[in-house]
Amino acid sequence: MNSASEAQYREQPAKRLRNAAIRRTGSSAFMTLLGKECLELLRSFKLVWVPIVFVVLGIMQPLLSYFMPVLIEKAGNMPEGTVIEMPPPVGSQVLADTLSQFGLMGLLILALAFMGIVSGERNSGASALVLVKPVSHTSYLLSKWVSMMILTWGSLLLGYAAAWYYTWLLIDFVDVGPFMLSYVLFGLWFTFVLTATLLFSTFLRSAAGAAFSSLGVAVLLSMLAGLMPKYMGWSPGALSGLAYQAVTSEVLLPLNSVSWWSIATAVIGIAVLLMGSVVLLKRAPAHD
Amino acid sequence: MKETMELSQWMGLIVPLVLLQLLLMIIALVLCVKAEETRGPKWMWALIIILGQLLGPIAFFLFGRRNQ
Repeated sequence: MNSASEAQYREQPAKRLRNAAIRRTGSSAFMTLLGKECLELLRSFKLVWVPIVFVVLGIMQPLLSYFMPVLIEKAGNMPEGTVIEMPPPVGSQVLADTLSQFGLMGLLILALAFMGIVSGERNSGASALVLVKPVSHTSYLLSKWVSMMILTWGSLLLGYAAAWYYTWLLIDFVDVGPFMLSYVLFGLWFTFVLTATLLFSTFLRSAAGAAFSSLGVAVLLSMLAGLMPKYMGWSPGALSGLAYQAVTSEVLLPLNSVSWWSIATAVIGIAVLLMGSVVLLKRAPAHD
Repeated sequence: MKETMELSQWMGLIVPLVLLQLLLMIIALVLCVKAEETRGPKWMWALIIILGQLLGPIAFFLFGRRNQ
């Protein structure tokens, strides 16, 4: 036995032991990290203000649509006796408007709120402190991702439900089926963009860079899907348009194969982005 | 569209919106006052929070605070 293979032989049990330790403590370490991330969300008050902002945005849209004729009559400087014929607002259209409001303001706020989620800890060296413990890079990143998703899906549901309730009170009732379908589709789109934020946050030093790169990707994807629905209909960018269609259609939108493809590519894309960020984090756990 | 709407109904719809915005503003103001240091002078942030409607508190939460 030459010295090289001996060294390998000697080294391997230790490595195996460490991996076994990680595997054994993997799930409990993950839960601990997740608890830490949720505490972090609460301490920074994100868990409080982000849902409130989403609810306010959700309430505003139906109110605006309802009072629009009055507002134009009172505030607009129309000559006396002008009669404006406005079609009465339709409930499902109001909900679609709310979604597009969430897609602009909501996504901007969420991406800015999460922009420093990894890069902040890497710049301060906190991530290196966590990662010397028997904690895998995967569970470290996954705990961050899950905490992001809890806040995102929760805030979106609260805000969208508030919009739905106000639309029901003021305009008309929208069925629960289309409402839930559009919620899930839109949530998937948010998940895709915010996972991109997580990836950019692991390899860019600047937090603002992470936010605007991922928002740029989001704008590019949805613009391509909007301009060339024939060729880009399978991309995740088509998801937001699909959500508007889902809520405005009378019955539950039958998803065709292209729509299924955009859902599939979004899910695959989310998995790839997560794996990519794990690989990038392993390569350099902390900035010098 | 229902033409006649009672004032009380009207208020019932607007009040939750105003309360939520007020809550957001109060949380932001309390954090601003209690923070050891903010990015920029505190009185400027207080003005932004009070005058900036919905966007003021959001801007403070996102950019106003230094983490440790």
